[in-house]
Amino acid sequence: MKPVLLIAVNFAREQRWPILTLLLWVLLLAFLGLVTDIHRQREDLLFVFKQDAIYVLAFSVFFGGSAIYNERRSRRILSVLSKAVGRQQYLSGLVLGVTLACAVYCFALGLTGSWTLGETGFPISHLWFLMVCLVAACMLAGTVALMFSTFLNPFFAAGATAMVLGLPALAGQFLGPQWGYVIPVWELGTTVVNSSFRSPGTASWFPVVLAAAETLAFWLLSARIFAYVDIAVAVE
Amino acid sequence: MRFVLEFDNVTKEYRSFASKRRLRALDGFSLTVEAGEIFGFLGPNGAGKSTAIHLAMGFMRPTSGSGRLLGERFGHPATRRRVGFLAESVALYHRRAERLVRFYGALNGMGGTHLETRARQVLEIVGLRDHANRNAGKFSRGMLQRVGLAQAMVNDPDLLILDEPTSALDPLARVMVRELLLGARNAGKTIFLSSHLLSEVELVCDRVAVLHRGRLARLGRTADLLQVGEQTEIVVRAIAVKHFDGAVARDGVVSFSVPAHTQRAALEKVWNLGGEVVSVNPLRRSLEEIFLEVTADPQSPPFAGNQ
Repeated sequence: MKPVLLIAVNFAREQRWPILTLLLWVLLLAFLGLVTDIHRQREDLLFVFKQDAIYVLAFSVFFGGSAIYNERRSRRILSVLSKAVGRQQYLSGLVLGVTLACAVYCFALGLTGSWTLGETGFPISHLWFLMVCLVAACMLAGTVALMFSTFLNPFFAAGATAMVLGLPALAGQFLGPQWGYVIPVWELGTTVVNSSFRSPGTASWFPVVLAAAETLAFWLLSARIFAYVDIAVAVE
Repeated sequence: MRFVLEFDNVTKEYRSFASKRRLRALDGFSLTVEAGEIFGFLGPNGAGKSTAIHLAMGFMRPTSGSGRLLGERFGHPATRRRVGFLAESVALYHRRAERLVRFYGALNGMGGTHLETRARQVLEIVGLRDHANRNAGKFSRGMLQRVGLAQAMVNDPDLLILDEPTSALDPLARVMVRELLLGARNAGKTIFLSSHLLSEVELVCDRVAVLHRGRLARLGRTADLLQVGEQTEIVVRAIAVKHFDGAVARDGVVSFSVPAHTQRAALEKVWNLGGEVVSVNPLRRSLEEIFLEVTADPQSPPFAGNQ
C-alpha cells in the first residue's frame, strides 16, 4: 500500500500547476461572493458553482488520459518501475492520484460553495453530497481515461473516454433513463447540474456506489491490459 | 545462486502498430552474469543493449525465450527490491535531491531513520552532499546522473544494472564511479554495466560481452579478450628496423611482435646485434579494436524485416 500512496501523492504533486489553475475558478466564485450581493445574485453564483464543478470532470479525463503518456515520454516511469513496484500498484497509484487531485479541487469548491451558496439558502449537506458525486464521477472518468491511455495516446484516449461516458447518456435519452446508469458519470454530472435553489435534488447514493464499483472494474481491466504493454521503447 | 542474471534464447521484436513491420532488437540472445563480477555489456547504437536491460527489469516482455533476475523470472516486482537500476538519459522528478532519493528508497519499502541515513550516505558517495537540498530540476546533466546513481544505490542492492552511468560525467566523476564500482564488487555486489566508454569498461570489468545486431558477438574474460593469441611485443633500442619483419621505429625505439615460441630467439638476435631490450610483453589489443572488429562484421542479419 505504501508505494501506491507514494505514487498517488507524487502524481498529485506533479499536477500542482493544473490544480492551482483550476482553483482560480474557485477563487472567482469566492470573489463573486465577496463583491456581489449574494442574496440577489444567488442564481448567478449557483451557475458559476456548477460551471466550476463540470470543469473538474473534464480535467479528470485529462489527468487520467495523459498520466502514463507523460511518465513514459519523460522516461520517469523507468525509475519508478525499476523499484519493487508492480504494474497494478503503479496504476492504483495513478487512479488514487487522479482522485486525490480532483478531491482537492472539490474540497475547495465545497468550502467556497458552503460559504457563498450556504449563505443564500442552499442546503449545505446537499452541497457536500454533490461534491461526493463529483469526486465519484471524476474517479470513474479518470480511470476510464487511464484504461484507454494504457494503449492509446492521450488525444485518442480522451476521445474514447468521451464516447464510453457519453454513450450510456445517449442511450438513456432514447431507450430509457436506466441506461444512464450503465456508466454513471453523466448521471452524477446531471445530479450536480440540475440542482437548484427550489429543488436541490434528492441524495441518491446508488450512482455513487455504482461509480466506485465500476472504477474498481475499469482499474482491474486497465491493470490486465497494462501487464502486457511494453512500457519502454527502444531508445537506441 | 551462481547466476544473478540469465537470458535464455531471448528474442524481442518491436512491432509497428500502423504497418506490419517488425524490428528484431534481440535475436536468440543468451547470456549469464555471475555473482560478484563486474560485467561489461557493449555494442553499437541499436545493438539491443537497452532492450536486453529493459527486458531484465520487466519493462517489456520477450517475444520468445525467457530470463531470470536473481533467480526469479523477469518482471517479478519483489525481486527488484534487491536491484539498483540507472537508466540511460536518466529522468527524475523535480524535487530536492535528498527527498528524491528518499522517495525512491521508500518505493523499495525502506523507511524511517534508516532511509534518511542511507539517503544522506549515498548522496555523499556520489559527491552531492552539499547539493542535497537543491531541486534536482535545476541540476546539470552530470549532477542528475549522480542523483540517478544515488537512487540506484539507496537500497544497497545485490545487483546494480547501469545503462551508460558515466556518459554525462566529467573525468573526476568518472574516477569516482570507477572506484564506486570496484568498491561494490569488493563488497560482493554484482554490476551489469552497459557503456560506450570502452576504456572505462577495460579498466573495471571482469567479463565483457559485445552485442551486435541483437546477437552476442563476443563474450569472455576481459583479460583473455584483450590478449592476442600467442604473440609477444618486443620493444628495443639501438638496432635498425630492417632486422625484423613488421618492425616500427617511433620515438627512438623499435617495436615488433613475434610468435611467443620464437621470443627467445628474437631477444638473442637483438643482443647479438648490440641492441638493448626495453620491454617484452604479451601483445594486447584494446577493447576498442575488438569493438571495431565486431561491428565491422557484415554477418548477422540486421532485421527480421517484414514477416
